[in-house]
Order: sequence, then structure tokens, then C-alpha cells
Amino acid sequence: MIDSEEHQKLVSDLGRQPRFIAGREIYLDWEGFFWDPADWNEEVAKILARESGIEVLTETHWKILRFFREYYSCHGRAPMNRHLKEGAGISLKEIGALFTEGIRLGARRLAGLPNPKSCF
Amino acid sequence: MMKKIGIKINGRLRQVVVDSKTVLIDLLREGYNLTGAKQSCDRKGQCGACTVIVNGKAVRSCLTKVIDLEGADIMTIEGLGTPDNPHLIQEAFVLAGAIQCGFCTPGMIMTAKALLDANLNPSIENIKQAFRRNLCRCTGYVKIIEAVRLAGRFLRKEISPDEIRPKPDDPKMGVSHPRPSAMIKACGVAEFAADFRIPGALELAVVRSPHAHAVIRGIDTSTAEKMPGVIGVMTAKDIKGTNRLQYIVADRQIICSDKVRLLGDAVAVVAAKTKEQALAAVGAVKVDYEPIPVMNSPEEAMADEAPQIHPDRPNLCYSQPIIKGDADKAFAGSAAVVESSFKTQINHQAPMEPEASVAYLEGDNEDALLVVIGRSINIHLHMAILQKALGWENIRYEEAYSGGQFGIKLEIITEGIAAAAALHFKQPIRYIPSIEESMLITSKRHPFDMKIKLGADANGKLTALAMDIVVDNGAYHSIGNVVLNRALHMLSSSYHIPNINVMGRLVYTNNPWGSAARGAGPPQTHFALECAMDMLAEKLNIDPLEFRLRNSLMPGQGKVTGHVVQQWPFPGLCEAIKPAYEQAKKDAGTHRDGTILRGVGLAAAAFGIAMPGDKAVSAVELGVDDCVTVYAAAADPGEGTDSMLCQLAAQVLELPMTKVRVVTRDTDTTTATGPASGSRITYMVGGATVEALKKLKEVMDEVGSKTYAALAETGKPTRYIGEKRTVEIAPLDPKTGQGPSFESDVHAIQMAEVEVNTETGEVKVIKMTTAVDAGTVINPQNLIGQLEGGMDMGAGYALREEYVAGKSKDWVTFKFPTMKTSFPMDTIIRETPRIRGTLGATGVGEMSMVSTAPAIISAIKDACGVWIQQLPASPQRVKAALAGAR
Repeated sequence: MIDSEEHQKLVSDLGRQPRFIAGREIYLDWEGFFWDPADWNEEVAKILARESGIEVLTETHWKILRFFREYYSCHGRAPMNRHLKEGAGISLKEIGALFTEGIRLGARRLAGLPNPKSCF
Repeated sequence: MMKKIGIKINGRLRQVVVDSKTVLIDLLREGYNLTGAKQSCDRKGQCGACTVIVNGKAVRSCLTKVIDLEGADIMTIEGLGTPDNPHLIQEAFVLAGAIQCGFCTPGMIMTAKALLDANLNPSIENIKQAFRRNLCRCTGYVKIIEAVRLAGRFLRKEISPDEIRPKPDDPKMGVSHPRPSAMIKACGVAEFAADFRIPGALELAVVRSPHAHAVIRGIDTSTAEKMPGVIGVMTAKDIKGTNRLQYIVADRQIICSDKVRLLGDAVAVVAAKTKEQALAAVGAVKVDYEPIPVMNSPEEAMADEAPQIHPDRPNLCYSQPIIKGDADKAFAGSAAVVESSFKTQINHQAPMEPEASVAYLEGDNEDALLVVIGRSINIHLHMAILQKALGWENIRYEEAYSGGQFGIKLEIITEGIAAAAALHFKQPIRYIPSIEESMLITSKRHPFDMKIKLGADANGKLTALAMDIVVDNGAYHSIGNVVLNRALHMLSSSYHIPNINVMGRLVYTNNPWGSAARGAGPPQTHFALECAMDMLAEKLNIDPLEFRLRNSLMPGQGKVTGHVVQQWPFPGLCEAIKPAYEQAKKDAGTHRDGTILRGVGLAAAAFGIAMPGDKAVSAVELGVDDCVTVYAAAADPGEGTDSMLCQLAAQVLELPMTKVRVVTRDTDTTTATGPASGSRITYMVGGATVEALKKLKEVMDEVGSKTYAALAETGKPTRYIGEKRTVEIAPLDPKTGQGPSFESDVHAIQMAEVEVNTETGEVKVIKMTTAVDAGTVINPQNLIGQLEGGMDMGAGYALREEYVAGKSKDWVTFKFPTMKTSFPMDTIIRETPRIRGTLGATGVGEMSMVSTAPAIISAIKDACGVWIQQLPASPQRVKAALAGAR
């Protein structure tokens, strides 16, 4: 039996871990992405944003997050940067600057979009 | 010596200048882009995928020297028929359901053409003789034989294709509508990765480790870089991203930087103008290795002082117990207990197609789009993994047609190297490895080492199960813990076992790494459990079928993880197979003396589908042509996903089959809907598609029209997204292994009838029968096709196949199944609509082989009285067991 610390490390690598955010149990994956985008709401996004160092989500932040949500709801996948640039109407450099953890780990994660799934 | 040759290809005269070495397949594929003839066996004439007709005879074009063909009349698959105007043999292969992945199909059809030209009414023996050199991994050959016989009927004008072809308006469920992709495969125009031609593309060859464990002290590429045709040599330092292919643990590099951990690890990549030049330069790359101790087994890797294979993970990298009730107490009170041990082998999934990939850049600036054409069954995840590994965001992944899969394409293999090279050299890349290299560099089926103890009370009811399971994970983690967990989730198979004490351990070694392989975990543990079931039945003097029926789980009872089931149609399958079982026992009873002994064996399987936390998403759209398209990255390497999705769409929308189509192969157009693994596509992706279709149907009903114009006129959307998520999401408790399990199950019981030659130890499968309940049947031919292919694969797993790194190099050394080793198969179908099924259906693809090996091993025991506890049951092992028994 490997020790529990190693076990926990692997279990958290694997997959989903529940967290209580805004009074609800939400499963996040190994990178903090939502397991299920349906668990997302604006309140949860604000809490996660604060955790990543963004105290207040501005209207520009929301514009980007909404683009991610709308794109996913139409296409069932996350947008590539080329789609993001065209769709949000903001340069990638600006988006990267707005979200402290960058486009993927920052904006896309805060928008509640999931990582593509492996076997789990 | 060069020579000018005049030949006729598909009716057209050609003049070619060739040397004495050029073989026909290369002339056809490279010279004339006739890529219907496929290359699988490294031009050894072992597979027949390259079969064409020369002067009326079927020949293997990989062995046929062009220089000897002056005046020859050559017909390839492209000359036989086209999708718009197919030959009757092509029609027969489509309508008989003889086409799954389609890689072997052109060769099969050309062999059929030569046979039927000579004999319009061949017997089964004639067919087996003619097809003795044509290999197929998907079908188990049964439907290929049926296709040839059907083609004979067409050609004899006894019946026409129109008389048996389902009509587009026929019922959509339960009818074998032809697969949408079948005809292009039959005509050889479906493009597999090696069929893509890109002008000026560089060819790759890879420097691979001859050591199973070594430190890389230095790499000298200077000589290789100066060799003719070489464009450059790249190493790990030339990859700008993490260079890590991370599924769960980021332990596998595209190109190794500091250490190799198994035979064949990639160390450097040569790009050259031709494949021959690249291969020549590989030998000139000097790598300074410092070999270190090799961990050949979990025992060695778990020993004290064993070197750690990965710096940040112990060799014992994962363990998971299952604790339920009090197994020790239950054993103490049991009327009968059996204990035994079982081992399974490393095995190759053995898709026929080499692991080919193509990559190129669209654009030439820093925003250029990297296009990767590969063999993935999870294109969105593989794209995401490559984005990180290569440090390049702008990627589009296209899935080519895949020549078999069986789990192997869950892994990125050649795509990583091809894509890295396209970025580094800024030129299009083709990486087409040999089958020997493909076997060396791919993931394998995990070997399991299992100790099992099983008890029952005096009434023949199971009381307790204990197991110690050690899994050799090989050098890289991949999805090792998932495979172990899947085995644990399904450990109690079809049965109710109230007390469980099991430990599963996963161990890094320097062996080939394990990953997905049809069934992935349960085939190994079912081998141990089902054999133990028979041992216990014998001890209690209860018939094996009755014993299984008596111990069936019932609705309201819990599986091994405590997950309570709502449906459990297994008892009905026991009843369904009973007449065939009784007959088989009678037949075997007449072969109990002499050298050749006959035996009958049973084994059950309850195969879980849709793990807690699974989710699928699918899109459907009504187009301006009033056709409905399903968009979902649901890979179809041969199972018939395209059929399934089209039939669902036509069923829900009440449209003819001609009005529906699917788009599944491109990350730019599809939903990210998860892997085509775990038999989840019908249940999960099909379910998500049905939800999207129902939304569209609701709007069509509201508008009162199924036309695009009507929806557009009323301002209604024409595109809808559907989702399906499992009810449960939580993983197993890490200390007890209790928790929710798979949401759906496919059930089966299989029966093997075998003959054992007690002098040679050879085992011949006389017949396999499966009674199956996979819920509502969407396409019967596809369902039976999966079962037949699975049973054939299971028989190979039971009796012949084993992958030995460095020794298994082609289809002969692998002991690939042939028409000679094939056997008759029967399928008994029962349909219990599943509560959350896709219009009542669940999956079936993997279950088909899960109980085959134990059924065969049990039949061997029935025939000659010995248990074979280590797979494969080779003639040597059977002989040794018989000698031991004497």
C-alpha cells in the first residue's frame, strides 16, 4: 500500500475533486477546471477570480467570459485563440493581461469551460 | 538495373521505368496514387491488405516485382468499382456487414474477385483456402465468408442487392442499414493516414533506444545531418513546449531528454527527403547511453533498493482496495472455498494499420495553424495534450480513417513526433513507421498477476471473494490507474458477492507500458473469477450454468463497490443459452476418448458503461439542403459509430436515412465529447445526440415543417446542443473502494466448444456462442459484428497471442488470427431496454471478448481435466499441464 499522501496526489491528478464554492459542491479537475460547465454561475466566477488575484471582474472581463460561455454552448468545445480574438473583439495580448493566469488557465477556467476528458 | 516495362493498370496502358527491387505496391501507391492497396506487414506478404489482381490471379503486391510484369494486366480495387458505381462484390461486402475499419477490405475484395472469377459458387473451404493470406482483426472472418457467399449469389443472379438492401424509409431501429462509410472503404477511397499525399513532405525516421533503462549521456547528430537527403535531426531540446504527453501523470516525453525507460523510446528524429534517406541517417546518430538496472517485473520493481524508474513517483505508483462486509468471517463459515492464482500476458492490440501520422503548417507566421492528421480516438484531448507538449496553441486535429483500434489509439504515438517535426522543420511531415516499429512503440494490454479465493455456502451461494492483483504498468503511467479501477469496478461480474477483500496494485517497470486495450482490465480479472467460479461449482457438484444463474446479482442488490443496480438481465441470458449448452454437452460427450477430446466451457460478463462523472456533448444542425448533420468527435475506427448516430437521427426526426449525416473527425467542427473508449459512445454520445435531436424535433413540430426555410422564416435556431451526464459523479472511496459505479451494464454469457489434442497440446475452437443483452438493438449487423470480432480476439488472447518486446516483430511472430484459426460463432440476442439508455440501448464493443478466454480455458478443463492458469494456453503450456496431471 502506498502512503496516503502519494495516493491523494494521484487521485487529485486523476480527476475530479469536490469543492464547496458559493455554498454548493462543485467538482473541479486537476487543473481547477470545472468538471461540468453547468455548475458555473457568475457568483462562482467571482469567487474563483478573487482566488486568482482579480478582485473585481470588470465589464471587459465579463465580455470575455460570456464569449467563452456562448461559444461553448453553441459548439460544445472551447474556442481556439483565433476564434476568441475574432469573437470577443479584443486582442489576445489584452485578454492575457486581464486574466492573471492567462487565457487558458485564467479566462477559460473562470468561464467554467471543462478540459477535454480522458478515460477516468 | 533499370528497365522499361509496359503494363496495363485498371485498363490503362502504362510505361514505367523501374529497378529490380521495386514492388508493385510501391508503384501503385507512390507512382499512381492508387492507395486502395494497403501496406501493413512490412512487405513480408503476411497480411494480404495489398492484394491486387495480376493476369486474373490475386497476388500480394508487396511481393510482386514490377520488373517481372511486362505486359501484365493489373486490376486494383479502384478499377473494380466506385462508390457511385460499385461492383457486386463491393455491394456484398457492404450489405453483409463485412467492413468494420476497412483497412483489410480492398485486399479482401480483390481476393474475392479472383476467387469468384474462377468459381462462382465456392464452398466455405474454397473461401478459407483463397483467403488464407488475408488478415482481418475486426470481424473474426465470419462476415467476410458471408460476404463472399452473398457476392456469389449476386453474380449468379439469384438475388440482387436491391432486394436485400434496407430502404432509406425502412424502420430505423433494429434494422441493419449499411454503414455510411462502408462503400468508400469497399472502393478503397477512404483515406487512411499513410494515404495522404503532400507535395514536398519530409519523411521521418526515429532513433530509438536499444536499452530498456539507460541514462542518455550525449547525442551526436553531426554525421547524420550531413548524409544525403537529410534536412535535419531534432532532439528533445528542439521541442518548445513541455515535451510531455500527459493523460494523468506527465511522465512520457515525445522525445526523451535525459533517460530512456523502455526498448524503443524515441531519442532523436531524422527528417529527410525520402524514407530511405531518413532510415539510413538513423544509423549515423551516435547516442551515448549509460545502461542502468532494468526492472523486468513488478516483483523486481517493488523490491527494497530497487531503482526508482521515475524521479517523482515510487515504482508502486497506485493502489486501491475494495473492502465490503467481512470476507475473512465469511470464508470461515463457507461450505466450500477455492484458492488459485492466474496470470495474463502482455498483449498487443494489433490493429493492422501501422501507426502513421501526417502534420503540416497552414501559414508561415507565428500564428500558423498546425494541422495534425492522425489516428486518435479522442481528438480534442489529444489536441490539448499536443498544445502543451509542443508549446503551440493553434492546432487543428483531423482523425484519418483508422485501420483498427482496440484501445491503442487512446494514446498519442506518432502524432507527437510528426507535429513536433512540422513545427521544427517548418515543412510538411509524414511519419509512416513500419509495423515492427509500430509494435515496438505502442502501448499494450496490461499483464495481471492474480491470487484469488472464492467461497460459497452449502446452497451454492457465493459468500466471499478475496483477491490480490498486481498489475505491471510498464514504463509509463498513461491510464494505468483507470484500467485497474475498471477491473475493480467490474470485479464481481454478473454475481452477487456479499463480502469482498481485494487489493489492486499498479507498478512501474521497464516493460512496454499498458493502456487501453479492448476491455482494459476486466478481461484479465474475469479470467481469474470465471475460472474460480467453475472450480467452486465443481467442488460443490453444481452445474456451472446453474451455479452462475443461482448467484446472479438481482435488482436492488449492490455490485462490488456497493453500487445498487436497477436492472440486471443476466438470468434471462442463462436461460437463453441453456438449449445450446445442453446440446454442446451432449456433443462433447461423444468425444471423451482418444487423443482428441472435446470440452464445453462457460463464462459470463457484466461490463460497465458510463463511469460516474462521464459527460458527453453533441450538436445537430439542420442545413439549407434540409439534411441534418450530427457534429460530435465520436471516433469510428470500425465499430459503426456513423451508423449508430445516423440511425438515431433518422429515428428521432422521422427522416429517411438519406437526410442524415455525421461529422466526427475534425476538432474545428465537432463537439469535445470524450474518448471512443470504455464502450461509451452509444450510451453517452448517442444519448447526448438524442437530446439534441429531440430539441430540434420539438421546434420542427412547433413550426410544422422539417425544412430549413421554414425554421429560418420563423426565426427558430437550426442548431442544437445536447448533453448526457451520468447521475453519479463521485469517485471511489480510496480506503474502501466503495462508491457509485458504472451507470449501465451490458450482459453476456459465452460458451466455448473446443477440441484438445492431448498429444500436441493444440486447442481448436469448434464454436463460440454468445447470449447478449445490450438493451435495444439499433443495428443488428453491427452488434453481431462486434461480438464476432471480440470472440475472435478473445480466442487469440486465450490461446496464441503474446507480445514480447524485441521478439514480436510482425504478424507471424505475433500469431495474428487467420481464416484458418477462425471458427463458427452464434449470437443469441435479448433486448432489455435500459432505463437511461440511448433509446434503450447501451454499448457492446468491449464486452464481446471479456469472457471468451475463461470460457475457452474452462472448456479445455472440461475436455482434458487440466486448468491452464497462465495465458496464453499455448500447446506447450497445455502439454506441460497434461504431463503434470499424469
